[in-house]
Amino acid sequence: MAKSYTLPDAVADRLVSILGKRFVLTHPDELLVYESDALTLHKHLPPAVIIPGSAEEAAAAVKVLAEAKIPFAPRGAGTGLSGGSLSLHGAVIIELARLNRILKIDYENRLAVVEAGVINVHLSEATAPGGFHYAPDPSSQMACTIGGNVAENSGGPHCLKYGMTTNHVLGVEVVLPNGDLINIGGGGVDVPGYDLLGVYVGSEGTFGITTKATLRLTRLPEAVKTLLAEFMSVTDASRSVSEIIAAGILPAALEMLDQETIKAVEESIFAGGFPIDVAALLIIEVDGLRAGLERTAAAAVDICLRNNARAVRVAADEAERQRLWGARKRAFGAMGRIKTDLMVQDAVIPRSRLPEVLDEIYAIAKRYGLKVANVFHAGDGNLHPNISFDGRDPDQVARVDAASKDIMSLCVSVGGSITGEHGVGMDKIDFMRMIFSDADMERMLAVRDAFNPEGLCNPSKVIPAMKTCRYCGFGIEDLRHKRAVHQEIS
Amino acid sequence: MASAIGESANIEHLATLLDRNREGIYTCVHCGLCLPACPTYRQLGDENDSPRGRVYLMRAVSESRLAIDSVFAEHIDSCLGCRACETVCPSGVPYGELLEAARAELASTRSGGVEQKLLRFVLNRFFTRRALLGVLMWIARTFRESGLAQLAFDSKLLGNRGRLALALLLSSRPALTSNAENRAAGPSVSTSPKVAILRGCVMEGLFSHVNRATERVLRKSGCELVEANGQVCCGALHAHAGELETAKELARKNIDAFRATTCDTIVINSAGCGAAMKEYKHLLADDPEYAARAADLSKKVKDISEFLIGIGAKPSEAIVARRVAYDAPCHLIHAQKIASAPVDLLRSIRGLELTPLIGSETCCGGAGIYNLQQYELSAKIASDKVDNILASGADMVVTGNPGCIMQIGASLLMRGESIRVAHPIELIDSAI
Repeated sequence: MAKSYTLPDAVADRLVSILGKRFVLTHPDELLVYESDALTLHKHLPPAVIIPGSAEEAAAAVKVLAEAKIPFAPRGAGTGLSGGSLSLHGAVIIELARLNRILKIDYENRLAVVEAGVINVHLSEATAPGGFHYAPDPSSQMACTIGGNVAENSGGPHCLKYGMTTNHVLGVEVVLPNGDLINIGGGGVDVPGYDLLGVYVGSEGTFGITTKATLRLTRLPEAVKTLLAEFMSVTDASRSVSEIIAAGILPAALEMLDQETIKAVEESIFAGGFPIDVAALLIIEVDGLRAGLERTAAAAVDICLRNNARAVRVAADEAERQRLWGARKRAFGAMGRIKTDLMVQDAVIPRSRLPEVLDEIYAIAKRYGLKVANVFHAGDGNLHPNISFDGRDPDQVARVDAASKDIMSLCVSVGGSITGEHGVGMDKIDFMRMIFSDADMERMLAVRDAFNPEGLCNPSKVIPAMKTCRYCGFGIEDLRHKRAVHQEIS
Repeated sequence: MASAIGESANIEHLATLLDRNREGIYTCVHCGLCLPACPTYRQLGDENDSPRGRVYLMRAVSESRLAIDSVFAEHIDSCLGCRACETVCPSGVPYGELLEAARAELASTRSGGVEQKLLRFVLNRFFTRRALLGVLMWIARTFRESGLAQLAFDSKLLGNRGRLALALLLSSRPALTSNAENRAAGPSVSTSPKVAILRGCVMEGLFSHVNRATERVLRKSGCELVEANGQVCCGALHAHAGELETAKELARKNIDAFRATTCDTIVINSAGCGAAMKEYKHLLADDPEYAARAADLSKKVKDISEFLIGIGAKPSEAIVARRVAYDAPCHLIHAQKIASAPVDLLRSIRGLELTPLIGSETCCGGAGIYNLQQYELSAKIASDKVDNILASGADMVVTGNPGCIMQIGASLLMRGESIRVAHPIELIDSAI
């Protein structure tokens, strides 16, 4: 177990005076539930959790922590899958769930201003009556917060066509690591000066803490067609994906579920009516203007049938479409039926390599005696191999770790990347070297230092320990090194 | 609420009940999709007061990482038991069962303060005896009808919690001044389904008008009513408070009473009681004598809306000109998974305009006597409900559970609003 940290009483008292007693948690028993996020492989107990009720409270609390040189880490709904919101080096967790108000919906300018703790889907629900939605739709969208989406630059099934979070953020209000409250970006398409917003989105809470975001609203498509294609081999399904994209069709979403996933989902209360005897299913959604949509759908159906699809059916109505998506988006939770814990991996590969990579992933799992289920955004080659395991068994945990590493190496070796949308956090930090040189990462650190010079904000995430300090022996990005105030490195 | 816990918070004993539910606890993969469905999490933003957090606390107790002390008690006590988390859980965590186990653990270890002792005394001594309960309900009714309750409420001499208690009682008055009471009941047909009704404790004590309306609607729909003598309180209040032994005792009495009749179906007009009786099979699963009987009985239990839709009852004769918002009781929509039946019935009433209510599926904060025990948190949850009702433009709210009728009614009264709350069967009764 890692070193345990406690919050000095004087600091706790100052935080209580800002936030009120109810919203400063320091009793060890109340901190337990904050030891992990949705990825239970990593557990780190924080010394305290604070739950501010406004951006101003958050800023004031950060100021107190920064003055006391105590690190801190932001957290939204704790649905993250890379351990990005966990407390390392005794970071105080700043929970933003209470900042849950939608402040402005402006249809004329197609934007909304929301607080960081607003649930992703709540914005789409609130704007549906006006004919709009917030396009990025992570599978956890019914629970995850906008603040977390901005931090992770979250994706989702429909990002294939509509783009990731970064394409939908127009501005943010940020508590900087010294407690200053600033605005980055604005309502316009471009702002004078550097594109700090582009740098900030996806910084995984290491540049500052988002308290508000101005988001782009997207018109709901005039028409939607959702197809479900059944394949008796994963290879056939993968080939269909590649051919659909190569044919110039840009589906709103193109998702694949393999047999293990289908079984888990069909046994849950969110069964989508999927056939369980197939090797793989593709959910293909096309949307846009009504005119021409039939033809696009027919072209996709043709490609599937040419690649040996057993059947392709079209969702008859909105209810059936919702059922299909409901089943897809809850696949992760439904895996709870297989084992007690779940490792949701995240990697990107070139679409053309899908069949061989999937085969190799099954082989890796088999080699470590593990069960893997794949459910992923096939259209942009964003894989999610899910490995179910029992976290109480250290041997299984070690095997999951080893298998994850092998899968990452595999994806990188075919020209892919170590994360598509879940972020690096602490889970992928050791894999960063697979794709970046030290020089690459030093530039990233230099940018981070511009926002977070003391390294107090979400320490030891994203960039791994690189060179070691000659005097203290710590990695140069390490918070302990920063505290030692040693500049020279060997 | 501060809870005194026995000094010997001994983990070994505590783990026993939760231990038996380990499988259910481990079903949770920590995905967090339940968080926004939880009314207490939405108010507090504290993971400890979320379903995932509470399951994690239970898991920690069963793994001996956490003692059952005041922290565990605080967060288990703060749960409404609305089970909205079950509806959204993709893993199928049996949250309601886990909560009852955790509450039973707590009840068996804490000596409790005065309030806790009083609650236990009332539940175990009064709610188990029909005659005593009858007296208690008679006193409440007399106070309600005498005008004294209204006077005390209006006087504003009492604190908020006291006024809420009065408002709850006042809200149990009939909301409809219908002439249905005088209407003759239709003749029962011999080939008709044989139905027994659970009269319930609070239902018969404070909502006898709803019970009579239920009987009239059933008769009009061609059912034969059979009397189940010896029936008692369903035991839901006891199970939720962790008094499992008393709950089991009451369940066995009810099983005996309903088994002695020739009924095909047991119709229940209180969502909480219906959910409890449908779960008798779980409650008595370890009882060698009653396990099979409990399972049989649970199969026969139907909510009134579920039953009426099942037999194709059509309330259409009279016109009810009202703008009504339907609020789904948690123990109907989340525990019994009945969402559309009451809405479909209401839709078939001519002249009735059903207006959408945002957050209809979200708990009103009543949750038995949670509203009095956790006054502040409950009041915040209720306040959101009242806001949504006012925004809906409804002139009446309907909901099929006595606790919800009283909580929503009382919350409206506390805000000075005159919108009344009724049971859907009352509207169906005036239309059928």
